[in-house]
Amino acid sequence: MKLSSIRPVAFLISKELVIAALLLLGVSFVIFIILFLSPGDPFGVMLKGQMISGSAKAGVREALSMSSAWYSQYLSWLVNMLHGDFGTSTRTGLPVLSEVIRVGINTLYLTIGSMLVTLFLAVPIAIFSARRGMTVFNWTSTIFTYVVSALPVFWLGYIVIYISIHQFGLFPLAFGSGSQKIDWLNFMLPVFVLGIGNGTISEVVRYLREEMERVFSEDYIRTARAKGASIWKHSFKEGFLIPITEIVASKIPFILGGAVVVEQVFNWPGMGRMAWQAAQDRDYPLIMGITLLAAIIVRLGSLIQRVVHIMVNPRASQE
Amino acid sequence: MIKGPVLTIENLRTYFYSKSKQAFIRSVDGVNLEIDKGKTLGIVGESGSGKSITAMSVMGLISAPPGVIIGKIRLSTESIQKNLLQGLKDYVRINMSTGRIMEIYKDNVGWQKNIDRIMYKIRGREISMIFQNPKISMNPFITIGSQITESIMLNTTIKNRSKAKERALYWLEQVKIDSPRLRYNNNPHGLSGGMCQRAMIAMALSSEPSLLIADEPTTGLDATIQSKIVNLLAELKSTVGVTTMLISHDINVIRELSDQVAVMYGGTVLEHGPAKDVLSAGYEYKHPYTAALLASIPNEQHIREKGYLQAIKGDVLDTINIPGGCRFHDRCEMITNKIKERCENHEPDLKDISANHKVRCWLYYDS
Repeated sequence: MKLSSIRPVAFLISKELVIAALLLLGVSFVIFIILFLSPGDPFGVMLKGQMISGSAKAGVREALSMSSAWYSQYLSWLVNMLHGDFGTSTRTGLPVLSEVIRVGINTLYLTIGSMLVTLFLAVPIAIFSARRGMTVFNWTSTIFTYVVSALPVFWLGYIVIYISIHQFGLFPLAFGSGSQKIDWLNFMLPVFVLGIGNGTISEVVRYLREEMERVFSEDYIRTARAKGASIWKHSFKEGFLIPITEIVASKIPFILGGAVVVEQVFNWPGMGRMAWQAAQDRDYPLIMGITLLAAIIVRLGSLIQRVVHIMVNPRASQE
Repeated sequence: MIKGPVLTIENLRTYFYSKSKQAFIRSVDGVNLEIDKGKTLGIVGESGSGKSITAMSVMGLISAPPGVIIGKIRLSTESIQKNLLQGLKDYVRINMSTGRIMEIYKDNVGWQKNIDRIMYKIRGREISMIFQNPKISMNPFITIGSQITESIMLNTTIKNRSKAKERALYWLEQVKIDSPRLRYNNNPHGLSGGMCQRAMIAMALSSEPSLLIADEPTTGLDATIQSKIVNLLAELKSTVGVTTMLISHDINVIRELSDQVAVMYGGTVLEHGPAKDVLSAGYEYKHPYTAALLASIPNEQHIREKGYLQAIKGDVLDTINIPGGCRFHDRCEMITNKIKERCENHEPDLKDISANHKVRCWLYYDS
């Protein structure tokens, strides 16, 4: 690879990193404000069932050397965060960073796995219907994807759990239960449910098919046919690689959102379940950590998409 | 050795269906053409006369239904002699009533599958094509060099990549691209329009085809670049000597490069003959449409004599409602009372008026 093709990518990545840093700052600030304004606080949860008098709360506050002004709270969190200290969970007392990384990896398994399931179903349908037009098979499979996309993911999850427990007697049905090694069925069920239930499958089919159809009617594909070359080879970059990275990157937030639900339903030890639990507990440091990780994942997805676009499309690198 | 023309087209008909007008667009409606070995046939005509569709029909690249429905395209080169529409008749059923086509049933999927099978060894290898708008007709994601190399490896006996690359550089040199080694690694958008067209010509020639179809090779380029491309094509004609079907609406380009000329109008050929006869103003036996076309070229003599440019009156033929009789009769200025009735009601055939010169006009029927 020559330097000239790396330079635009390096430029893009450095620019994206700066933007990402600013974005994360903004995200953390907004989340902090929302948490600060929302009713309840960690101390209320900590002291639940004990003395609820104002003086006790103030005492705990003081013991944890927590100032009451929101800006000094935020600034102290920010300064610690920049030193690599994300604080400790107010509920479990474990360091936030290592906890978030531990559950983040579980969530990555779930989301990447489910994205693969989505693509595995959507891509063949898109390619067949782009190439062969609307045959009966393509028509029914497209309808199927729309119906599947309309199913609520929690409903689908409960149905799958119901069937697998009551019909097949699979129990316990939780990823990571018992031994530490991955139980394949317990792994596959949530992945499969999120893969077809995250609501993106019909959009992947539609977008990919439209892009492929558009590229198939481009003049340069006609030229490729006229010289006897493979139209798949010539349409791969613009008709497949670019649209698929675009649609996947733009759907990452939806999949993370779906993961929160699926992790609840399947008791999956991931980010979504932890976020849910942390919100219940008003576990502010943990919520901040998880939100930042989610923002990083979303941003990373769009960065990968931009990098692919620039590396594939020589015109984009000159813009 | 093969005898006779490299490509013979007989009664080719390519229709499209217009949903909004509920009618067939008869883009190519009974075309007859012949191209002799080593010669250049220029096809000239206004926009919408069916020139490009004829070329696309030969390549089997028509995808809109119903597309090619009938005809014979005979290719005879050293390695292949066959009718490119062989056995495809079974896929089409035409419902005629009182001489008009009422309905066309065509199994497009089956047709397409078969034409791809027939054309598999012909596209690129026997017939290659130059398109207009080179910047969007070459793959913008791949360097021009590897596109040429790909064509060489697919269509010639050179299967070794580095040898194919050497050959590609040779062809880039042949089309007078300066510093071919640098340009080899350029994407189409990194080249000017003229350079890109040269690369496209190199790609088409690199597969060493028996027949080259150049579809409006100079359209969309600057006037100065146009003349350079025409000079290049003329030079290649003498050095490489490939049989060419040249399509253009620019009579000057056709005049410069062609040995034979076919004048198309409304989906059919009105005149077919040697370029020097058809396109010379002095030659008197020609179709009134050709005469009108020649008179409409910006030309010193015309302007000096008449003081203005002469346009052909009326509009281009609407190929949905082709009138009975001669296709040109309502725009024709040479129509006489003697033949008027025939012109309006019966379509003349292509009639030999001298050796190799055919005209489709009632003027040359003596009766």
